[in-house]
Amino acid sequence: MKTLIKVKPKDYKVGDTVKIDFMAMHPMESGMRKDKDTGKIVPAHYINEVNFLFNDKVLTKMVTWESLSVNPVLSISMKVSAAGTLKVLAKDNKGESVETSAAITPKG
Amino acid sequence: MERRSFLKGFGAVSACAALVPSIVSAADEAKKVSGPNEMSVESALAAITGGKSVTPSSKVSLSAPEIAENGAVVPVKVSVESPMSANDYVKAIHIFATKNNNVRCANVYLTPANGEATFATRIKLGTTQDVLAVAEMSNGTFLSAKQNVKVTIGGCG
Repeated sequence: MKTLIKVKPKDYKVGDTVKIDFMAMHPMESGMRKDKDTGKIVPAHYINEVNFLFNDKVLTKMVTWESLSVNPVLSISMKVSAAGTLKVLAKDNKGESVETSAAITPKG
Repeated sequence: MERRSFLKGFGAVSACAALVPSIVSAADEAKKVSGPNEMSVESALAAITGGKSVTPSSKVSLSAPEIAENGAVVPVKVSVESPMSANDYVKAIHIFATKNNNVRCANVYLTPANGEATFATRIKLGTTQDVLAVAEMSNGTFLSAKQNVKVTIGGCG
């Protein structure tokens, strides 16, 4: 699972509210689709848990289901209180987990 | 002679046609039972609200396209009016696709540190249906917003 965190806008100060995009490369199989070649149902494979942590404190927790699109993008807001690290932990229903982090560096 | 054989064949075909519907419905029933995470809107809502009433509110704004050509990628954005202070904030935003096999799309649990109660993502829609957003406030009330999305090509399968 490849992941990416984007913080928008690029320049922000302490006290600003920024938008955080978390992107993951994931097939998000619903478990309903049939494989065109073999005719067998492709088993469900989707991200079911995403946790956003800022300086190891919980910012946002998400429980997600197979109805999210392929390569999902999850965007939330965050009020910048200090400089620090934003960590995102994502898990899928097959037990694969990934940890991504981004530095939050407010200017001024 | 030709006419006779044609009629015979026709009879056989119609007999088959009479059998087919029952087979299909049986298969549908089997699929319904064995479908992963199969859930209806009523039970999904009850699991979240615990029986409390959900009131439609203008405080919750849900933006989704009115017509989605491709049901596999439907952008959905929810924002809830709230000061997001320590004692008055949006606890959670839940998104449901009311006619998908599993209506649950995402349950997002927010904290006051979010600053604004917004959530955006892209979801899959099987057919034309209502997208429902439910916001759980810190005082225990549930507010909702709904929008119908017309889907030209389904995105579930």
